[in-house]
Amino acid sequence: MKLFRKLSLQLVLLLSFSVITMQSQAQSDPSGDSPVTTTFALKNATVVTQPGNEIAGATIVIKNGLIQSVGKNVQIPADAEEIDASEMYIYAAFIDGMSNAGAKRPENPERPRDLFTPDPPNEYAGITPEKSVIDQLEISSNDFDGMRKAGFGLSHVVPYGRMLPGSGALVLMGSGEHIDEIVLEKDKALFAQWVGAPGAYPGNILGIMAKWRNLYRNAENRKEHVEMYAQNPSGLQRPEKDRVSEAFFPVISQQKPVMFNVDGMLDVRRAMRLQNDLGFPLIVAGVEEAWDLVEDFKNSGTPVFLSLDLPDEPKEIKEDDKTAEVEALEKRRMEFYKKHVEQYGMLANAGINFGFSTAGTRTNNILGNVRKLIENGLSEDQALAALTTNPANILGLSNRLGTLDNGKVANLIVSTDPIFNKDANIKMMFVDGKKFEYEVKAKSTNKDAQPAAEGGDILVGSWTYNLNTPGDPQSGKMVIKMENGSYSGYLTSSDGSPDNTMNNINFRNGELTFDFSIDAGGQSVLIVVEGLITGKTYEAEARVDAFNVSLELTATKDEK
Amino acid sequence: MKNIILIFTLMVFASVSTVAQTPKGDVLFKGGDVITITNGTLESTDVLVRDGKIARIGKNLKAPRGVEEIDISGKFLMPGIIDAHSHIAGSAINEGTSQVTSEVSMEDVVDPLDVSIYRALAGGVTSIHLMHGSANVIGGQNETMKLRYGTTNPDDLRFEGAPRTIKFALGENPTRGGRSRGIQPQSRMGVENMLRTSFQQALEYKKKWDAYKADKSPRKVAPEYDLRMQTLVDIMAGEVLVHCHSYRADEIYMLMKVFSDFNIPKLTFQHANEAYKVAPELAAFGASASVFADWWAYKLEVYYSTAYNAAILTENGVLTSINSDSGELIRHLFHEAAKTQKYGDLSDDEALALVTLNPAKQLGIDNRVGSIEEGKDADIAIFEGHPLSIYAIPVMTFVDGVKYFDKANDGDDQRLYVSPTSTIEEINIFDRETQHRCMEDAFVMDFNQLFSNQN
Repeated sequence: MKLFRKLSLQLVLLLSFSVITMQSQAQSDPSGDSPVTTTFALKNATVVTQPGNEIAGATIVIKNGLIQSVGKNVQIPADAEEIDASEMYIYAAFIDGMSNAGAKRPENPERPRDLFTPDPPNEYAGITPEKSVIDQLEISSNDFDGMRKAGFGLSHVVPYGRMLPGSGALVLMGSGEHIDEIVLEKDKALFAQWVGAPGAYPGNILGIMAKWRNLYRNAENRKEHVEMYAQNPSGLQRPEKDRVSEAFFPVISQQKPVMFNVDGMLDVRRAMRLQNDLGFPLIVAGVEEAWDLVEDFKNSGTPVFLSLDLPDEPKEIKEDDKTAEVEALEKRRMEFYKKHVEQYGMLANAGINFGFSTAGTRTNNILGNVRKLIENGLSEDQALAALTTNPANILGLSNRLGTLDNGKVANLIVSTDPIFNKDANIKMMFVDGKKFEYEVKAKSTNKDAQPAAEGGDILVGSWTYNLNTPGDPQSGKMVIKMENGSYSGYLTSSDGSPDNTMNNINFRNGELTFDFSIDAGGQSVLIVVEGLITGKTYEAEARVDAFNVSLELTATKDEK
Repeated sequence: MKNIILIFTLMVFASVSTVAQTPKGDVLFKGGDVITITNGTLESTDVLVRDGKIARIGKNLKAPRGVEEIDISGKFLMPGIIDAHSHIAGSAINEGTSQVTSEVSMEDVVDPLDVSIYRALAGGVTSIHLMHGSANVIGGQNETMKLRYGTTNPDDLRFEGAPRTIKFALGENPTRGGRSRGIQPQSRMGVENMLRTSFQQALEYKKKWDAYKADKSPRKVAPEYDLRMQTLVDIMAGEVLVHCHSYRADEIYMLMKVFSDFNIPKLTFQHANEAYKVAPELAAFGASASVFADWWAYKLEVYYSTAYNAAILTENGVLTSINSDSGELIRHLFHEAAKTQKYGDLSDDEALALVTLNPAKQLGIDNRVGSIEEGKDADIAIFEGHPLSIYAIPVMTFVDGVKYFDKANDGDDQRLYVSPTSTIEEINIFDRETQHRCMEDAFVMDFNQLFSNQN
């Protein structure tokens, strides 16, 4: 507990410091970081204006945050910073359908004392459709930089929360002093998920479906009442002010879609089922299993954002005496891994113009994952469309974003190679006409040049962990061994509880996941831990799905 | 007016619009012993199935062109088994956070990927009643399903046209749920009170909406819409069949009194281990019972039980079925039915009716399934050995004339979806921990307890 308090204090100090420096910058720019000019000319590049349309030796002029001109014979304004982009490849920056980029996860609402579980307060039930993600956004967030480095210029950012956390907003992955500077459009879609309230109504998908129907039908009635009252209040009972109902009004009048965060096939079908019952405009996002949904998407015309969070390729057990049964099971598992990575090409070929959503994907895996999809049947043009023109269409942005055309928002990727090549590095990003430059690594010839965390055995050894449980935090040792090419480990507990075996240990790209079970009164409770190792620290989230709770788990490597 | 019309149109629309076209088969079964349930056993008889329905039953039938002929001589053909109490194929079972949740429905959470469906088919089962759990007094609406395994669309499993049903629960489960959450009911008295209060509230709700509907003013304002109350109104209108989890004779009798007071005519008691004590009263009310063959003593209220329960009820004229409530028992409901011949001397037809025609009647689908009759759905199980014999082996199972299980082609891995990140380990078919889902999610554990060492 103390550890966290200290940490958060440090964070607060850091934050206030950076605000101060920025303010002083605005006044006199002692650092000299302000750009000399905001007009740029990228000369002599290979420009992919949109999927399938490439112009070699072209120049792009950016002015006032917009693309002023694109082409071979372009007049370069006198005030432009000229950038030699020969050998460079320029694309419209990517557009993401759903992320939490820049949003800070709010503290879980505290369980009210004497909670009446059948009818909890809306805040606890997670029914706050009147809220906006803007209130969760922090301009100082590193997420924007991470998204930019992955090629994104815009994201539809959705709020954290439970079943109806609020509305998402279109946010430019730029920078500024205040969040308003980078918000392109507020209240873009009403965000919804199948997340129940812990131990209160609606607790799971059963209750959420029913609650949705109740909320929606009452909102329809109330809307009619409100409109009647606005026309002529005389003699009419006053409609009660109800923010939850009112949040549905633009949805009922088909002016605002509902974006459902749904990963599995059945979850998608359930969102579509609700849509079918109630008739609201629907977008599904975060979709991970869509290979059986092609006809449903086609018939309903539901816009789709497929998740870029791909499963790891399954590894076969390396044993000589593997049974035929195990072999058959491994084969089926591989068959489904293939279904996952091949569905993108399959859907694109079937004419589903999906976009991508990055929620849940580590930003530095994004481009690699897109390349993996291309290896598995998605064409490069289809991939680029899913990253640019398709999401622009779905989000109603085609007149402003998604292609490199005169008059569009200057969101650009400048890449050292064709962007889907393995060796491609993003050298520059322009977001809203602002330039961001990156150091380009020399082309790697050594495949082993992995992040430091993975190559060695940083994982192996003894760690001290803290699990931030309510009441007394738990702590102990996390001991990990490497045997025959796979990890094994256990958790000890300083309170003398028996050790817990760590299962399914997976360590890749600095990301460590494992799970363990504890015995709670004869009931086995599974805890899934996921997080990142940076240096000698592990910061993770420990999820207890059975209770719909997640806890912080941190660990530091013990010195020898 | 417009509103309420819209609401009801939407409700009607919701219940019919999603009916998908499911496959229907044509097949001729040659020369089996046909157990009809309603018309004795017909030896060496043929059954012709056209477009998913039983078209003809007789001798020397010829297969029309293109219709597959299956030789079942020496085997038994019976109506597909119907399980009136099941929790397989559901992504969630209890919305136990509130003690009245008549607004929720299992049709929203059907899981067509559950491999238990295939295992049930392998036991000759063709239909199940997917029930909400028993954590609350008035639980959710249930879903009557046909086991068309292989589809990924939950709507394809719907028993189209089956009446709506709902789960109620009495006794220890809902009171335990109430006590763990600190809400009503915490005692059996509270359960009855909760039922009466809920129906009374529903009457008030109906009154409000009736007044609204009768109001001719163009500027009228709709009352609050409440799907929970609306479902209770539908129950009182006889549109939703109640299936009530119960064990003790006194609580069974209590619910009959409550239903008499609110003029609710149809009622099936689930489990009903002490129903034999009030068998004449059940018969007089017209209530039915869906029981276990010989399963009891797993909690205090279930000690006073007998394996003669089903036979006593049957002899007293109570419509009775035997159910599984389990992903394991569901695979041998024919054995469960056979136990009534050891304990109660029921005839073959009486015993098999307990898992076919009688549950069909309790679910309101007996016009479609439950016996082998011309015009009924071709939901059929083929057995090697008489289904009431301990040596019986289900060999083929058909739904709407389409074969969904064939012992001759029974692959090892019948899962429809496989997680690419799953670990491969030994497969347990019988999983004690997940078998009983009746009380899933029903309890709140103090979170501090969970991490302390004092459990």
